Amino acid sequence: MKRSVSILLLTLGAILGIAGPALADGAQAGADVHVAQTLGDRDLTVIIRRVAEVPGPVHVDVVTHAGSPAGEITLTARAAGAATSTTKVVLGEKPGFHSGVLRIDRPGPWELAVDEATIPFVVPALVPSPWENATYGGFIAAGVLLFVALLLAVFGRPGLALVPTAGVIAAVAVAATAALLSPSIPPLAPPGTQLDPTFDNVNDPYQRTSIVDFSRPPVNLVPGVRGDDLVLSLTDGSSGRPVDDLLVHDSAFIHLVVVSPSGNLLHLHPIRTAPGEYRARLKAAERGTYALAAEIARRGGGVQLLRSSIEVSGTSAARPQDGKAALATEIREAGRPSTITAGFGERDLQPWLGMLGHMIVIGPVTDSPAKAPIWAHVHSMIPPTPGLPDKPDESVAAYGPDVPFTYSFPLPGKYFVWIQAERNYEIVTVPTVVDVPAAKGVSEK
Amino acid sequence: MKRSALVLLAAVIALAGVLVVVWPRTVEAQPQLAESAQLRFVLTPASTKSGRNSFDLRVTDRSGHPAQGAVTVEPAMPQMGHALAPITAGPAEPGRYEVGDVDLLMAGQWEITVSLNAERVVIPLLLT
Ligand SMILES: [Cu+2]
Repeated sequence: MKRSVSILLLTLGAILGIAGPALADGAQAGADVHVAQTLGDRDLTVIIRRVAEVPGPVHVDVVTHAGSPAGEITLTARAAGAATSTTKVVLGEKPGFHSGVLRIDRPGPWELAVDEATIPFVVPALVPSPWENATYGGFIAAGVLLFVALLLAVFGRPGLALVPTAGVIAAVAVAATAALLSPSIPPLAPPGTQLDPTFDNVNDPYQRTSIVDFSRPPVNLVPGVRGDDLVLSLTDGSSGRPVDDLLVHDSAFIHLVVVSPSGNLLHLHPIRTAPGEYRARLKAAERGTYALAAEIARRGGGVQLLRSSIEVSGTSAARPQDGKAALATEIREAGRPSTITAGFGERDLQPWLGMLGHMIVIGPVTDSPAKAPIWAHVHSMIPPTPGLPDKPDESVAAYGPDVPFTYSFPLPGKYFVWIQAERNYEIVTVPTVVDVPAAKGVSEK
Repeated sequence: MKRSALVLLAAVIALAGVLVVVWPRTVEAQPQLAESAQLRFVLTPASTKSGRNSFDLRVTDRSGHPAQGAVTVEPAMPQMGHALAPITAGPAEPGRYEVGDVDLLMAGQWEITVSLNAERVVIPLLLT
């Protein structure tokens, strides 16, 4: 009898040991969302930190940049239009990080309002995948059946014990198959990247749909001026309805590159004020034609560039941009990769929009930037550095000093080029002009 | 006795089968061949992992004679919209080029454009 008791105890221990990992983590971990926002006179980066538990707190960091006026902003979290919590964040004189905490009460599509700007984001549900369920379920079933088989054997029914023993083998086979195959099962795109996020699909992210092509129609951009603000209206190129499915790509919904009549570069990140309506403050507006190009990514994949121009009747006098960097250029003929390296002196550059630097290229310019055939946005990427985070935020001032770019100027001619990098929470804009020679008899292939 | 030997044999076969299916495969750095109108380029990367890499390049004409001149290698990653500065290398011996210090820091699909004079080929390279 003593022996059978010890066997029972051992088996119980084995079952508990096997059942343990069932409590392991869920399907999607989610990630921080970084969104640059040109909100009134301020250039902000809003960081919505990963939500650890639901219901629970969501931490929001608001990063101010040099020249942002001090003041107070209101953060509000909304689900299905209803506000659940609100908080005020005091922005100091000194540029840097300011935090606020909001509460969310369910997974699903949410909206963070920062004053009049609204930022849609998704709070993922922690749902174990079907193959995790099969693995853990199989091992638990195997444990229970093993226990039953032992009971029957101990109490003198070895014949009957064969039935649960067969069950043990089957259950272990199921669990092992699921565990072995799961790494090769492609993960489904989380709701909000290809499909519009809803409370249903966020809570059941493993539902498959019959859709195979997620791409969406192109977008029409109509710029306008309202007060001091540039207002962009985005409509669907096929239905004419407002476009309200922009993804955060390179840390913004829209990267709006604007060239003023005097040739100054503005790199703005319009805020979403209504479905299909985005706004950005045009500081020190001049009189004349502003050329603009908006980079957007719609849900379902692909980035598009929307170009336009607009007449502005500002009164400010143009002040030339005067950012400084040592430029080392190696310009090759049109169609071949040219390199431009900006040296910023010290190794204290901060990532801006997730990149070490940005280079805006407009040309060949013969009369106005609005008519230039090429508008390009080149990145210099953050090099993977041991000891520093993979995707650093702006608080890591440890990069540079050299910011290299490689770009193949497609056409010969004169190009306006601006290089942008961040230091001390200030965006430094270095203007330059590049002359690209014509290709000399390179075969067209 | 015979029976238990059979069972053992079956178990060994089953285990071998599982291992064959499950064993992790590493991608060997294979020579990549590409041809332009006049030339034949064979590029062998030192590694198929992301990080600092180097290429062994052999360039011959269609009849197998080593090519003359320096090659230019232009690595780019189309999916990231990212290009690296071009690297020019002279021949280590006729028709053979060593292109070192190529910093392919990201895993994914790279496109290596190799040109010699006016001849140009694009060679895909998948890094893990
Ligand atoms: Cu931008």
